[in-house]
Amino acid sequence: MSEPAIYLDNAATTPVAELVRIAMAPFLAGSYGNPSTRYAAGVRASEALGEARRLVQRALGAQKHKVVFCGSGTEANNLAVLGAARARKAGAIWIGATEHASVRRSAEAWQAEGGGPCRILPLDGQGGLDVARALEQIDAQTAVVSVMAVNNEIGTCYDVARLFAGVGRIAPGAHKHVDCIQALGKLDLDLEDLGADSLSISAHKVHGPKGAGALVVRSEARLQPLIFGGSQEGGWRAGTENMACIAGLARAVELAVAHQDEFQRSAAACRAALETGIEGLAGLHVRRTGRAVDAILSLQVPGAPGEVWQHHIEAMGFEVGVGSACQARTAEISPALKALGLADHEARQVLRVSFSRETKPAEVEGLARALRTLHPRLSEVRP
Amino acid sequence: MIEPDVLVIRYGELALKGGNRARYEQALARNIRAALRPLGEVKVRVAQARILAYPTRRARAMARRAAEVFGVKSVSPAYSVGADLDAIVERSREVLMDALERDPRPRPIRFAVRAKRADKTFPLASHLLAREVAGRILPGPEFLKVDLTDPEMVLGIEVRGNENYVFVERIPGPGGLPVGTSGKGLCLLSGGIDSPVAAWLSMKRGLTVDFVSFHSFPYLGDSSKAKIRELARAVSHYQGPARLFVVPFTAVQEGIRDAAPERYRTVLYRRMMTRIACAIAEREGHGALITGESLGQVASQTLENMGLIDAPADRLILRPLVTADKEQAIDLARSIGTLEISNRPEPDCCTVFQPRAPVIYGKQKHCVQAETRLPMETWIEDAVRDMEVFAIDSGESPA
Repeated sequence: MSEPAIYLDNAATTPVAELVRIAMAPFLAGSYGNPSTRYAAGVRASEALGEARRLVQRALGAQKHKVVFCGSGTEANNLAVLGAARARKAGAIWIGATEHASVRRSAEAWQAEGGGPCRILPLDGQGGLDVARALEQIDAQTAVVSVMAVNNEIGTCYDVARLFAGVGRIAPGAHKHVDCIQALGKLDLDLEDLGADSLSISAHKVHGPKGAGALVVRSEARLQPLIFGGSQEGGWRAGTENMACIAGLARAVELAVAHQDEFQRSAAACRAALETGIEGLAGLHVRRTGRAVDAILSLQVPGAPGEVWQHHIEAMGFEVGVGSACQARTAEISPALKALGLADHEARQVLRVSFSRETKPAEVEGLARALRTLHPRLSEVRP
Repeated sequence: MIEPDVLVIRYGELALKGGNRARYEQALARNIRAALRPLGEVKVRVAQARILAYPTRRARAMARRAAEVFGVKSVSPAYSVGADLDAIVERSREVLMDALERDPRPRPIRFAVRAKRADKTFPLASHLLAREVAGRILPGPEFLKVDLTDPEMVLGIEVRGNENYVFVERIPGPGGLPVGTSGKGLCLLSGGIDSPVAAWLSMKRGLTVDFVSFHSFPYLGDSSKAKIRELARAVSHYQGPARLFVVPFTAVQEGIRDAAPERYRTVLYRRMMTRIACAIAEREGHGALITGESLGQVASQTLENMGLIDAPADRLILRPLVTADKEQAIDLARSIGTLEISNRPEPDCCTVFQPRAPVIYGKQKHCVQAETRLPMETWIEDAVRDMEVFAIDSGESPA
């Protein structure tokens, strides 16, 4: 492969944008100050930190709320779910059926430390949240409810606002967290509109650096920190601030929100290009799951396991994700795919194609042509 | 804490090698030098049935590293001392106190002094020297209790004339023969648990091991290849740099899948691996192939099928694990540091090529019959021509 591959796994990560790199550069060179110190270099760093915080607040309409910079989206989710539960001492944690491991494992940790049970919110037949049924099950003894706004594997949008409105009536003391890591730059995210107490974001999903996430949280929210030390980040997240990554995150968030409409249009065009391009290929189709974003597509493939398709597609110059690994040794089937009611063998035949705002419909047409070329060979293979 | 200034490295059976002894000693010294050099400056030399290493720093880390080198029986981080009795007593006291401070075992510890006088001009015979030192340094019965038959702690004294040293620690080595003294082998590396262990055991008997792996891109991705490279690197920690040959195997697997009886696929794939590995071995000068096969472990490892896999070979196939239980292989893999890598869920052969019901007691005539229809010569030529060659850097400087 001489030409660089066309990258279509943007739900996994995205390339760092040039403007983001420029925003980060000073902190990897001359601007070394520690924002907790009082001499000029420290004060400049402290001002840069405040500026980054304001950028994020402005982009997300969160001027009244706090922004806690973290080491990753995973950490932001841990802080919201486990931190809020611990601040409440006891009670159930309710999570979505297709939550990311950073939420699922936090809830399991809460259960293991005896805080309360980890419970799963019911789905409807389309793979969306069954809000009515969920509200029948949730009770006043709930400590935390955590759902994602957009699923990372299948692109489904969940009706977070309706769920949280109901939770507010039934369990007014519960912390309501929404994982917006995939939603950022794709949907409008506003803590007030969502009725949430906190929302998490991650820089590297929107052309920012890896190792940078943030939790946007109501000032009055009750959270126990997970990392102890100095009083950085209002005491909610100790440790000297990663200035370069924070500056990169802020710029990336700003750009993601500024380009959201444009990205929505280009993602729709990319989706159409793929669907049109693979029309008529037996067993090959984009899986529809109720309301979903156009930027994350779940592609069902026939014959060979998804991983074999993935590597053949790679050999033709395209990088796509795989829904679930093909080998018996990696037996774990993705909970998101299981929640859709897919049989194990079907779940092993799912690819994930995801776009960024840099993806062009012509590139996706190229992928469709590659799928067309591979179809006769791979659809006949026994899974 | 006092720092050792010399490592006393003892070797086992290679001392018995008669005429070849000097060659073995030089090879061992060379391997030890290569293993220690990344840790810091060190001089290594052969001296009177010992190898002595003189580290400038990190002596304890070097001692632990030297104790991983094949051919080494044990290593003592030691403290050098002058040739007069008072100096020996003083140094012994200091070393013993230091060892006691660092020893967490409950007191009193069963203790003995063992002395060895190689320098016959020294006035005291070995047993008298031991008794004299013990008498003058023993701290008191609540700390140490003399026990000459079953001591837990032994203070060793060696008087060799111009070089004398005392020591307490004795780190057991792996034994075996110095890598490189038995020739070169080519190990078929699969990504599983067994083959790196087989490579390690072969190195232990003095073989320098290179690796070959068969890769079916694009049925498998680069991550499978990366895992193989990591395994080769991990096990090469015990031998130094090596080479890894990655053979494109897709055409072979597709050809066999499409043209041969399904039940014989696995055996036929493996017979082709044997042929290709032999061709590489011939070109690169490997005297034997090495595999991680264990009798009866999977369908391709019955006596019948191993025989079939053996048949096309033009040289010895070593199977160090042939009689080992899985548990033994797992324990070894854990102790040499390859288990975690092997356990990483990375396919080594795609399921799409596996037969639903592989033959368990294969017959030679069925193999031969199926193979007459296969372009085996072309496959072998293509494999050797198109294989990728990776230099495996074990983290050691070249010997």
